[in-house]
Amino acid sequence: MESATNHQAQAPSLHDDVGKLPVGSTPAITAPSQRIIRWFQTLTIEQRVLTGFSLVFVGILIISAISYHNTNGLLRNNGLDGRSHALIQLLGSIDAAMGEAEGTHRRYLVTGEQAYLEAYKRVIAQKPTFTTYLNELTQDSPEQQRRAGELNRLMERQVSVESKAITHVQERGIQSVRKMALEGAGRRELDGIHQIISEMDVYERQALNRRVIESAANTRHTIMLLAVGAGLQLVLLASVYYLIRHDITERRRVAGELQHRGELLEAANKELEAFSYSVSHDLRAPLRHIDGYAALLRKTVDQSLNEKAARYLQTISDAAKQMGQLIDDLLVFSRMGRQDMLQTTVNMDQLIKSILSDLRLDLHGRQISWTIASLPEVKGDPSMLRQVFMNLLTNALKFTSTKPMASIEIGVEPPSSDEVVVYVRDNGVGFDMQYAPKLFGVFQRLHRADEFEGTGIGLANVRRIVHRHGGRTWADGMPDKGATFYVALPRGGIQV
Amino acid sequence: MTLAKPIVLAEDNPRDAELALAAMEEEHISDKVVLCHDGAEVLDYLYCRGPFKTRLKENPAVVFLDLKMPKVNGLEVLRTIKADTNLRAIPVVMLTSSREEKDLAESYTLGANAYVVKPVEFQQFLSAVKELGVFWGVINEPPPERACSHQ
Repeated sequence: MESATNHQAQAPSLHDDVGKLPVGSTPAITAPSQRIIRWFQTLTIEQRVLTGFSLVFVGILIISAISYHNTNGLLRNNGLDGRSHALIQLLGSIDAAMGEAEGTHRRYLVTGEQAYLEAYKRVIAQKPTFTTYLNELTQDSPEQQRRAGELNRLMERQVSVESKAITHVQERGIQSVRKMALEGAGRRELDGIHQIISEMDVYERQALNRRVIESAANTRHTIMLLAVGAGLQLVLLASVYYLIRHDITERRRVAGELQHRGELLEAANKELEAFSYSVSHDLRAPLRHIDGYAALLRKTVDQSLNEKAARYLQTISDAAKQMGQLIDDLLVFSRMGRQDMLQTTVNMDQLIKSILSDLRLDLHGRQISWTIASLPEVKGDPSMLRQVFMNLLTNALKFTSTKPMASIEIGVEPPSSDEVVVYVRDNGVGFDMQYAPKLFGVFQRLHRADEFEGTGIGLANVRRIVHRHGGRTWADGMPDKGATFYVALPRGGIQV
Repeated sequence: MTLAKPIVLAEDNPRDAELALAAMEEEHISDKVVLCHDGAEVLDYLYCRGPFKTRLKENPAVVFLDLKMPKVNGLEVLRTIKADTNLRAIPVVMLTSSREEKDLAESYTLGANAYVVKPVEFQQFLSAVKELGVFWGVINEPPPERACSHQ
């Protein structure tokens, strides 16, 4: 699985390199992108998918934020537009009202008609409302505010000049204000008012125009951003989909392959089983015959047998027996590989105790100093684990038999979270570490048959059983300095 | 030693047969041994058929059965014996090279009275066969007679 995804991930980068080299781009420019590609290749499929989804998520966040900001701008401009239109309308009204005020007041001055005075008063009664609106509608722009102030002042002045003229005419008659009446009392102010209002009008219309352009651009940008963002999200999502899909296909393929291999392995195992079964039957019979007929021969010619002939016959028997032992051991070894395994809690203290009690005949007449630690419980098959420690302990006994004072230690390594490591240490003949890899092989022996007996199957059995438990075995040793054999078993038992 | 009834030894391998007979010879019970060379011959003997048509109508004291035999193998012979009400009582001892668990289990399930693995070492083989012969042929009291009574 790991190698498969790596292969897949490397393919595009290879293609990139081929594509870039002829263009002659400098390494300085491609370095960061290559670094990103290299970094991406180190990720697992889960991390890649997560990266993809995070990018999509961040993208959505950014687009949402920008859209929100832009829409807010549009709304604000919209509000400002409403004010501008209201202001323009108001300015028109003020302009007309002040013009009318000037007109009606002049007519009153000239004619003295009360109706004109009434009309005049009606018009200028609107002034405070104008002032209030004007202040309100210009408060966003200091410049317009300033003009509004100026406008107010001029209106103020026009009204005050006009009302002075009206008082005048009422007190002293038309003649006294004749000139003023003809020209209009607030003529100058009214011109100023016209001037300012048109300035304000132009300014507001420009601002309105500016905002319209701004809003249009804003809207265009938002639409573009949404389109590009959506496109990018789609590309990202498509990549993530591709990653996941590719991974699933790959997993399916691997699973299929595994199943196929499993079937092949099972078939091979069955064949091997049949083979070892026939070995157990058919190899044993001739051996029995060799030994049997040698014995019968010895018995038949008993009297006339010289010493040499007797030794030959003995050798024939011994060889046959030895081969019988080898076959038996091999069969045990083969059976260990396929026998059904129990999975229970094994009390190692009791296990060792019972093995030592079985070995007590071998211990007879030996000087042995035992160091046995308190051992933990392990998960596994009790009879198989018994075989493991039986083999290790008989080995320890066997290889310390040349020492006047044997010392054998059964201990446990400091606890780790996933393994229980039990060791058997002796001060026997030991072994050269360069032969360590051979120790656990079938029929591998590091000592001559006349030094220590044995068929060389015990440690192979140890390793096979420990492997079936999902554990490990290894050994430390030095010639003539003893050996230590370690058995590491998974703490929770083998995971099926 | 006096041996009342015959011992049937089913053994296809002539050398094994000779060695077994040599062992019985030492106990002077070999003359009562009926040697069959395959499973079919054992069944012929038990049912008094073919070459055994004229034999004395009595069941053997014991049948020693090898597992791997031509024609009819040991387990098939065992199955036949234990399925037949007239033969069921005959003690059957499996005498084989196989130490395989499934052979052991199947033999006992089918009703074998004993299961003996032939030792490779001749001395052990000798004593095993001698003991078996003496125990089943002499010491053990065979079941009451019903041989070929169905015929």
